[in-house]
Amino acid sequence: MSKANSPLNDFMNGIWKQNPIFKQVLGTCPTLAVTVSVMNGIAMGLATTFVLFFSSVIISMIKKLIPNQVRIAAYIVVIATFVTIVDIVMKAQFPELSKSLGPFIPLIVVNCIILGRAEAFASKNTVVRSAFDALGMGAGFTLALLVLGGIREILGSNQLLGTVILPATVEPMLIFILPAGAFLTLGILFGTANFFEQRKKENARQKVIEANRASRQVALPVEQQNEGEEA
Amino acid sequence: MDLLIVFLSAAIVNNFVLSYFLGICPFIGVSNKLTSAFSMGLATTFVLVLTAVVTWMINHLILIPAGLDYLQYVSFILVIASLVQFVEMFIKKTSQPLYRALGIYLPLITTNCAILGLALFMALRDYDMMQSIFFGLGAGTGFTLALVIMAGIREELELADIPKPFRGVPITLITAGLLAMAFMGFSGLI
Amino acid sequence: MNTVVKMLLTLLVIGAISGGLLAKIFEWADPQIKLNAQKETERAIFIVHPEGKKQEKVSGTTSDLYKVMDGSGKVIGYALPCKGNGFQGLVKLMMGVTPDLKKITGLTVIEQVETPGLGSEITKEGFTNQFKKVNPDPHIVGKKGAAESPNDIVTITGATISSKAVVKIMNEGLDELRKLKKEGKI
Repeated sequence: MSKANSPLNDFMNGIWKQNPIFKQVLGTCPTLAVTVSVMNGIAMGLATTFVLFFSSVIISMIKKLIPNQVRIAAYIVVIATFVTIVDIVMKAQFPELSKSLGPFIPLIVVNCIILGRAEAFASKNTVVRSAFDALGMGAGFTLALLVLGGIREILGSNQLLGTVILPATVEPMLIFILPAGAFLTLGILFGTANFFEQRKKENARQKVIEANRASRQVALPVEQQNEGEEA
Repeated sequence: MDLLIVFLSAAIVNNFVLSYFLGICPFIGVSNKLTSAFSMGLATTFVLVLTAVVTWMINHLILIPAGLDYLQYVSFILVIASLVQFVEMFIKKTSQPLYRALGIYLPLITTNCAILGLALFMALRDYDMMQSIFFGLGAGTGFTLALVIMAGIREELELADIPKPFRGVPITLITAGLLAMAFMGFSGLI
Repeated sequence: MNTVVKMLLTLLVIGAISGGLLAKIFEWADPQIKLNAQKETERAIFIVHPEGKKQEKVSGTTSDLYKVMDGSGKVIGYALPCKGNGFQGLVKLMMGVTPDLKKITGLTVIEQVETPGLGSEITKEGFTNQFKKVNPDPHIVGKKGAAESPNDIVTITGATISSKAVVKIMNEGLDELRKLKKEGKI
């Protein structure tokens, strides 16, 4: 039981099992918008993780003090405050990045991941667990942004992290850094991820069937064997 | 004429969903049935126009004169959350059938990035009050349009033989991509 | 304690702490933000006036205008930051003109969020260099395909709106400068 509740587990949860984008389908707006390049994706991921971490921690700390009816409003104020902090700091220290991410930094306020985690986790768990959960979700989010950003940047502008990596003879497919390309790439990524998940499940299921069959040592007629595999 | 351009730009040429990626969560979540898509679109449009008016007033009558620009995000989102709350209470009191039709979607509108996105773009582009209202109307119309088209397509897709890994979210996203490409054709319109 | 009072109090306290925290952070960051903006403006000024050595804000006017001097202190032109709505958002640019306002010495796009590969081509020299050869009197005109008169510049194929937006912003900037000249401020 302690393993399931360990902070490390809470962290790893956010990376794949409950990946905010691929599993929970939350936070898709900024994902599609900022992944025109890997750099933008990383910056957005880190900014979101920052807000997620501090919001989750603060909300977990004050969860007992907030009356139930105003909890959403209270969470929103906390989240908006940290987003403003990120925005101001970025404008001061990283002006170029701030400009290319544009209005999507303030849109972190309505990133469903943050409010979702606050409501589903931080408001019901300890500060330590909330902290790790936030970091895990943030990391999972950033990873997804990295993958999507990488694909779109390479295919759409022949570059990765700003340096040209494909020869000039390969014409970049502009569509990938345009909105249509974002949808298509994410859709295909989802489909691919589903494909592997389903194949894993199918393989596991097959193993169980084989194990049962072996332990019972029953030889099934051919038609029945085929039926079992298709179902 | 200028107002018409603001409206058309937000509704079609720079469609909030297909060009700016605002409102994707409801777009994926609510677009599987035509009737719910339409209801969500209407409710959102209503909130968008109200938000345009109120946030403009707060921004230009309070925040900017007082030099409190940095409180924009906090105030905007609080306004939006309260507006949605009031709209819900208002509809509940005045029209029961409407409330039943829209009921569950209203609270979801608060986290619809399109609403906050609208407020932020308005502020960024320094629109005046009339432009803001038409911007809100255009954004809402465009959002409803995207949702309704998507719902129509998805209802047809229910009967199609889609490969298993792609059912649900993946095929919706790919369809959205094709829709976005189609909408790109509008860029010469204005 | 009455629940309504408790609700309001909680929100008020959170709001107050939030406001206070933001005010402090803003105070700390504002000088740097202003410095960034200043550096960016200066960089743009010397792009549109490559021979300029010194720049100075023009006083006595509400416009955000800079005069550019060469090594000997002679005024070789003016630089005016201007902005307007492009296709997808705000377009900010820096315009350089000769002291008699008859020629544009340079144009650089400082900020834009136009469509990559199409509207964003307005930042490329192929487009902006046209403005150095055009006759800005009385107005610059954006034409598709080919220039037919000395006032014309050719818009980018597939990015007519972005190109025309730049033309509009330039014309408005020039009008502002002409007004200032009439008032004797420059």
